[in-house]
Amino acid sequence: MNASGAGVASGVARISADRVGKWFGEVIAVNNCTISVGTGVVGLLGANGAGKSTLFKMLAGLIEPSHGTVRIFGTELRRDVGWYRRVGFCPESEVLPGWMTGREFLSLSLRLMGFGKDEIKQSVDYWLERFELVDARNRRLGGYSKGMKQKLKLAQALAHDPEVIFLDEPLNGMDPVSRKQSIDLVRELGAAGRTVLVSSHILPEVETMTSEIVLIDRGKVLAEGSVTEIRDKIPEHPTTVALVSREARRLAGFLIGCDHVKSVELESEERVVVRTDAAVGFYRALPGWVLENDLAVDEILTLDDSLEAVFQYLTER
Amino acid sequence: MNVSDTATTTVPAAGEPRPLPSLPVVMWIAWFSMREMVRRKRLVSLGLLNLLPVLAVLAVRIFFRDEPITAQQQLTALTYDVIVPFLLPVMGMAVGASAIGEQVEEGTIVYLWTRPIRRRAIYLGRLVAAQTVAVLVPSLALVACFVIMVSKGPDVITWAFLKLYLGTFGIILLGASSYTALFAAFGTWVRKPVVPAILFAFGWENLVSEIPARVQELSLRFHLQNLVERPQVADTSDLPGLLGALLTTAFKREPVPDLQSVAVLILTVVVASVAGVWLLRHKEIEN
Repeated sequence: MNASGAGVASGVARISADRVGKWFGEVIAVNNCTISVGTGVVGLLGANGAGKSTLFKMLAGLIEPSHGTVRIFGTELRRDVGWYRRVGFCPESEVLPGWMTGREFLSLSLRLMGFGKDEIKQSVDYWLERFELVDARNRRLGGYSKGMKQKLKLAQALAHDPEVIFLDEPLNGMDPVSRKQSIDLVRELGAAGRTVLVSSHILPEVETMTSEIVLIDRGKVLAEGSVTEIRDKIPEHPTTVALVSREARRLAGFLIGCDHVKSVELESEERVVVRTDAAVGFYRALPGWVLENDLAVDEILTLDDSLEAVFQYLTER
Repeated sequence: MNVSDTATTTVPAAGEPRPLPSLPVVMWIAWFSMREMVRRKRLVSLGLLNLLPVLAVLAVRIFFRDEPITAQQQLTALTYDVIVPFLLPVMGMAVGASAIGEQVEEGTIVYLWTRPIRRRAIYLGRLVAAQTVAVLVPSLALVACFVIMVSKGPDVITWAFLKLYLGTFGIILLGASSYTALFAAFGTWVRKPVVPAILFAFGWENLVSEIPARVQELSLRFHLQNLVERPQVADTSDLPGLLGALLTTAFKREPVPDLQSVAVLILTVVVASVAGVWLLRHKEIEN
């Protein structure tokens, strides 16, 4: 799969990286990555050490690419810092200025975005309320739990209503309720036309927020687009298919030894689970087998069209 | 309220967003940074260190009350031998080296970096805060010294003493500002600035300021001590001929005009700040 590809999400690219690379000494952290992101929520996925944090930081203007260009709204954030008015950034690190209170931290964040006193008060009250931090607003950040810090970091990234939002592992340390609220919020932001780039190594987390993904591994973009699109581009991808049939036992017996079939399992009297290592060939051959052998197949279900399956396949290949 | 309702912003929707004006930003960052710096634990040990001149004045007041040591003599000696060569470099090192570098290392600079503010405003805001702390702490010690000195009686307060006393504040201001600016740039440049900073403060500064002729002008200490009113040549009158001549040559301090020293110290602040801003602009925020 090519490192470059069609833009993820919809609309004009707000985030674009053109053949960016970054190395630290002899270590190549990111290698020749090309991506573009329009509006909506996009997950930047990769295992720990895959290079997603480095790519993320280059996109957000925190580090300079060794080669290639990164543009947000067509400009380089590191040069034109005024564009940070339209960008929100939630870092992975949980370090916050421990001596400040939650209210002070949010107020200063907004002050440095150029907001006036009344706007700051209104916005701070709203976001403290939204993240259920009202009771802790006057407590020093040093005494905040990991989940509370995470929520405050999210609040400071969103409080100025940015159009492009970078969230680096935003759900780390959150309790299930906050996690659900934050996921809903991210989806809401995407639906409202913001560009949200979410970095994570936890696949189910990203799956709940979006189906648009950029897969990164060993410093390279492996794939980008929707999970289904990516899945369709991998014809030889191993697939698990469930066939619902009134004659499941007979069907299972027939399938053993057929081309493209790796294993067959009779799950119940009405259901056969087939694992194939060449999905396209299997799907092409199946109608012929059914017609020629008078087999009964009522329903075909693809069981592992999940992000995890795609990710696992791509990173192991 | 949903996301689209949160548009409480005055941020322009179109056109090229400009960075915020630097001066108010510098003041805001300085104010918050100063509040952070005075809460650091190391400030307690720095405060205790700055009690040195106060304890010395107190000792003179208690144990040498009948000795003919004037307040002017005490102040000159303290400035020349304690404040300039020890307290100011230590203060500059402790608050300067960590002013920007520590934030970069911790990762908290991200919250300034991702705002529409110029890098120079971030740097100068932090630097001004560090300089204020580095000036304030020894200045408070100097105020305490004054209180102890004048407690001897009103005749201590002469015009010459007041002039010297106010001049010492000026030396603290210049010295703490220049050392802090230098070490702040240093801390922005290298990840672990403590060892090189110590080598500079107590190696280079000690050594170079004692080298005769114009070489000594390459140290900040020389210029700060040059501003202290004090005889500049070591007294070797009791030593025999050759040794006396050697020592006189070795420790000979050739004074330069006060204005030159002031200019060098101010220039140090300016050059170090410009270098620091340049370094920060090219800094990578990896944490």
